[in-house]
Amino acid sequence: MHEVSKTSIVSVCKLGSRTPRPSGLHTFEPPSHFWVDAVEIPAASASTPSDLSRLAPLVDQLRQRFPTDRLLTQPAQLAPYESDGLTAFRVHPGGVVLVQDASEVVTVVRLCHEHGVPFVARGSGTSLSGGSLPVAGGLVIALNRMNRVLDYQPRSQTIVVEPGVVNQQVSRHVAQDGLYYAPDPSSGPVCTIGGNVAFNSGGAHCLKYGMTANHVLGIKAVFPDGELVELGGRSHETAGADLAGMFVGSEGLFGIALEIVLRLLPLPERFHTVLAAYDSLEKAGDAVASVVASGLLPGAMEIMDKLAIEASEQAVHAGYPTGAAAALIVELEGPEEEVAAEIPRLDAIMQASGAYELRVAKSAADRMNIWKGRKGAFSAVGRLSPDYIVQDGVVPRSRLGEALAEVQRLSARYGLRVANVFHAGDGNLHPLILYDGRIEGQLHQAELLAGEILRMCIRLGGSITGEHGVGVEKLEFLPEMYGEAEMELMNRVRQTIDPQELANRGKLLLSASDVGKQSHAPHPLESAGVISRA
Amino acid sequence: METIETTEQLTHFVRNQAQVRVRAGGTKPATSGNANVSLVNLSGVIEYESSEFTITVRAGTPLAEIENLLAEQRQYLPFDPPLARAGATIGGTVATGLSGSGRFRYGGVRDFLLGVRFVTGEGQLVQLGSKVVKNAAGFDFPKLMVGGLGRFGIMTELTLKVFPAPEATRTVVLENDNQSDALETMLQLAASQLDLTCLDLDDTNRIRARVAGSDSALLDRVARLQQFSNIANKVIEGEEELALWQAVGEFQWVPAGYRLVKVALAPEQIPPLISDLTPGALRICAGGHLGWIAWPQERPGEELDRVLAQHCCPGLAITGDWHSPLIGEHQGSAFARRLTLALDPESKFTNPQPVV
Amino acid sequence: MQHSIPSAELGPRGQAMADAVSSCVHCGFCLPACPTYQVLGEEMDSPRGRIFLMKDVLEDRLPLEQALPYVDRCLGCLGCEPACPSGVQYGDLITSFRAHSERKRSRTFFDRLMRQVVLQTLPYTARFRWAARLGKLASFTSPLLPHRLSNMLAMLPAQLPPSEQLPEVTPAIGPRRARVALLAGCAQQVLAPQINRAAIELLSRNGVEVVVPQAQGCCGALAAHTGADRLAMEAARKNLRAFPGDINAVVTTAAGCGSGMHEYPLWLKGTQEEAQAHALASMTKDVCVFLAELGPVGFAPLADPLRVAYHDACHLAHGQGVREQPRQLLQMIGNLELVEVPDREFCCGSAGTYNLEQPEVATELGERKAAAIVSTEAQAVATGNIGCMVQIENHLADAGRCLPVKHTIEWLADSCLDGHGSE
Ligand SMILES: Cc1cc2nc3c(=O)[nH]c(=O)nc-3n(C[C@H](O)[C@H](O)[C@H](O)COP(=O)(O)OP(=O)(O)OC[C@H]3O[C@@H](n4cnc5c(N)ncnc54)[C@H](O)[C@@H]3O)c2cc1C
Ligand code: SF4
Ligand code: SF4
Repeated sequence: MHEVSKTSIVSVCKLGSRTPRPSGLHTFEPPSHFWVDAVEIPAASASTPSDLSRLAPLVDQLRQRFPTDRLLTQPAQLAPYESDGLTAFRVHPGGVVLVQDASEVVTVVRLCHEHGVPFVARGSGTSLSGGSLPVAGGLVIALNRMNRVLDYQPRSQTIVVEPGVVNQQVSRHVAQDGLYYAPDPSSGPVCTIGGNVAFNSGGAHCLKYGMTANHVLGIKAVFPDGELVELGGRSHETAGADLAGMFVGSEGLFGIALEIVLRLLPLPERFHTVLAAYDSLEKAGDAVASVVASGLLPGAMEIMDKLAIEASEQAVHAGYPTGAAAALIVELEGPEEEVAAEIPRLDAIMQASGAYELRVAKSAADRMNIWKGRKGAFSAVGRLSPDYIVQDGVVPRSRLGEALAEVQRLSARYGLRVANVFHAGDGNLHPLILYDGRIEGQLHQAELLAGEILRMCIRLGGSITGEHGVGVEKLEFLPEMYGEAEMELMNRVRQTIDPQELANRGKLLLSASDVGKQSHAPHPLESAGVISRA
Repeated sequence: METIETTEQLTHFVRNQAQVRVRAGGTKPATSGNANVSLVNLSGVIEYESSEFTITVRAGTPLAEIENLLAEQRQYLPFDPPLARAGATIGGTVATGLSGSGRFRYGGVRDFLLGVRFVTGEGQLVQLGSKVVKNAAGFDFPKLMVGGLGRFGIMTELTLKVFPAPEATRTVVLENDNQSDALETMLQLAASQLDLTCLDLDDTNRIRARVAGSDSALLDRVARLQQFSNIANKVIEGEEELALWQAVGEFQWVPAGYRLVKVALAPEQIPPLISDLTPGALRICAGGHLGWIAWPQERPGEELDRVLAQHCCPGLAITGDWHSPLIGEHQGSAFARRLTLALDPESKFTNPQPVV
Repeated sequence: MQHSIPSAELGPRGQAMADAVSSCVHCGFCLPACPTYQVLGEEMDSPRGRIFLMKDVLEDRLPLEQALPYVDRCLGCLGCEPACPSGVQYGDLITSFRAHSERKRSRTFFDRLMRQVVLQTLPYTARFRWAARLGKLASFTSPLLPHRLSNMLAMLPAQLPPSEQLPEVTPAIGPRRARVALLAGCAQQVLAPQINRAAIELLSRNGVEVVVPQAQGCCGALAAHTGADRLAMEAARKNLRAFPGDINAVVTTAAGCGSGMHEYPLWLKGTQEEAQAHALASMTKDVCVFLAELGPVGFAPLADPLRVAYHDACHLAHGQGVREQPRQLLQMIGNLELVEVPDREFCCGSAGTYNLEQPEVATELGERKAAAIVSTEAQAVATGNIGCMVQIENHLADAGRCLPVKHTIEWLADSCLDGHGSE
């Protein structure tokens, strides 16, 4: 966050901080002019090749408003925007605009709408499901420079930020007042609040505090047709439908978040972080079940398997038990006395759990290191394999053992190594499927294996994504998790908000025209020539 | 009013009516006036696996029934839904988005609802969200149902996340000399590391702070809380404590002839708002983010509506007669309208009420 | 990341480049560590983006000329390496890529001239001294000169210290504990000869015999990092011959030179000297590392308390992983209060010839670093690299704070006791 100013540069009114209206009879006036044309839900209009021909006039318009160094159109400028954290796919965008404030976003969105050009918002491009993959011939709206804190109220424990503010910068900004922002995705030092909002991102500490949606109080956004909307406010409480909550996790399909109000929490007084080593994954899983059953409510419970331990240890040297079949991290947090009282209870459980080594973080630095190892695990697996798919699925907590055994079986059957890192307390699995893209057919095998894991999650009554979103990657699995009526409803909601499907086309929901013609391989967008394999 | 017993009956009803307005426990009459269908009989626990820490129930299930069942397994709903004694149901609680004093620590009902099954305006039964504690697949319809007052769908089944119940609790009542001291103390407590469960402020400048957790740590924590602000205080425990919080949760303080209104607040809005209300009308919960207003029957509702709007506060009328339960300033009408269009194209759930 | 780089066709370093690309998983963990990304806020100017661009060029998907502006803007500070959980050897990639592209790229006349001037003067003590004098003369006319040249001139001190010859052998004071060879460096020796003098004094007081092999030359880092790989290989070979074997370590006092010598195996990959290069590299240590391992005799306290900010030179912290030893040593000096600079892992913008080639970014980074130091209310600065010293001193001065900026070794030498316990 290189520029931190405490005032909004946006002239539009800030969330929940309106200047009081003059008194007078308060009526519920129908607010918007534009509503009239959106009443009709137009027939399905899907991605068309003519997007490309629409791009040129749009770019001409943009040139009049943006300097050349903020409107990127050269091949070398566009190439680095072709992928996000899911490198199996890349798409060459038609252009990238580096916006600097909310009014610029609104301008660009309105122009896109006018010209019928699809756009994709991009924070830091760390999505693991292809969320920020561009649309061919479409525009990428890069928000990373919009990284100002607009307002900060330590006494109310709220902060208003622009979408490009990096997750960890929020906690950094408020640390001086003993506060922090709870959702802590492993990508926290990199990913943006805008991306977190789009994906309802989680993290190790969701167990106790919930995901992004539970910490977003208000959102100002621009709809894909350029209309501005404010949702929620600055209160930790809501009255009326939780519209801000509904916006979170919509994967950018409802438009672009311009300002976000976040809830802050007081920093826990004490942490007690235990790293336990096991000679089997089952024992670690059972230990989690025992902790849960004991009535303790740890801040986090994370498991890593042998491969993941190896990779992290190479990357971070946090003193992980290399050679162990599984490592379990359990963290208690809270007031000094409470944690002190819980430690013996946790100790007893861990002793009984068959851990062959128990290590307690001795200092804040030691704790940081243990977490650094855990949080670097995904990327560290890059040391073990040139390519891999990070999967993300959820199973009921009591069926974790069953799920892990199944993953192992599948791994053996496909002959592909799978590393496991997961939020054990939540039943949120992250199997990392290792493959070598240079070997003919391995990517396809890896995708099949990934698909089987997702189907298992559905079968066990879980979800196909706990935090990484559907994106491009799981497009074809969403209809397996929900029924036809549910899919239709989601599509309908999308249609009322974005009938032209300009915002994040090809993510989360298949284009209306593609519905019904999904197949399992190749990817529907691939066959349509919209995306290509790297 | 028709009392339905099954979801099939409900979908049938919705398909065949021009207007659908639901009631269950009837404890929040301002939100269920002129109801034409009752869900009280759509009741019962569908699935409760205590090791999963989730529970799935029918919408008309009384809160009391759920709480008793959870208590047997030493679990609870941390958002502390109000009006359980009065007969509130889980569906009504979610539809009105009501949380009690306990929301201070772990969040409100929005933070505990995982999945819903509901009937759309076209009489389609859909199931969204999930039964697991973490899910990022698809739009978050459960959130939309929270506080949605049935305007986006009629819930039939809900899955909630539950927590392990604390071993023990105590409440410290802190007496403050005046309102500004009381507010200041409350905000300091809210930002402290004392990890309180509830933090309320009543109209006599009395703060009620509740501590919950391990038995063996509790007394030390209470002592620290007492020292924290060094003002006159009293520790309450046992039956007395239970009774105190029950009285709060049942709004026993609201005098006869008054209407109850909920208001979402940011703490900085409190002092100016108080000065525009009659003395004693506002009680504050959740460290200053949730307010309850008792509004005299005889004063026009529009007046409160106007005051709240002036202060940019969204309000929700709970009891009494109102033109609309949503009063004050509500954001996001453009979004709500579009959602209605998709979920209830014929406006069966909203007519003739304005959508906000 | 999957790629189709024809590594075999790209010479001995092809594999190193392919390996770096292959181990990048595009996670973006390097973004917050990259100064150019933080300043410019665009993906092309991030490590991840540059890896993508270099990959595309090597795969022949993208014309080299298109990618060069962004590759050129890389500071080579290696801030991205420790930030990368996947262990991408970014330094190997960028250095090799620069060498690879140098043969293919076309430069403007002015560019070529600048480049030659720099490459033919900076690494040679005598030529540099001569050029610097001329340069100072020219600075009177600097408003007329192109921005890049005037920027270079601004870096030169108002007056050059007199030229100094280092003794070939300096005996240990007291019983001899070790024998080391010192890399004298080039620009540093002209601009700040007191640093090596301090190092020799400090070492000898600590019972270390110091030899300065007369046949040594420039370490070659400057050439290597600007893509002049032949010059770099020559420099490396020269030093391989110059440094004796009967020593405990080769000691460096400039971070850039130290990390340069650690790269000899990469530069000489696939040549006969590769094994020898490994041997020399493994003996090479920054003077602070050597001293910390040896255990210093002791330091006298400063006369008055002083807040000193320690700045991590990139080629020490990221290039050689040296972060703690200089701090430990400085903290042994009584009355010296060591303070940490916010965002300490960030480059100051000096980065070899970067100041000359990318003045805007260099200036922005210099200003940020100065502001960060000012925020600590430090009264003085310690750092381990001559380039950083000049950059920081200049930008602190621009910010109106003329703080003393000294090499860590100068601070240590000033307070050093000898084996007999005297100063
Ligand atoms: C190594 C690694 C570890 C990770 N760990 C976790 C983890 O622990 N938990 C977790 O949940 N995720 C994790 N992720 C996934 C990823 O970091 C998150 O999804 C993150 O929220 C993405 O943020 P971003 O800024 O990179 O967004 P991007 O990738 O740039 O964008 C993500 C999506 O958000 C949309 N978007 C961005 N900004 C806005 C906006 N302002 N308004 C509307 N839509 C917007 C984009 O269009 C896109 O669809 C991890 C990723 C990596 C690479
Ligand atoms: S941190 Fe490493 S693996 Fe991740 S993008 Fe940067 S270089 Fe690639
Ligand atoms: S070497 Fe420095 S400037 Fe270059 S990519 Fe890495 S961090 Fe960025």
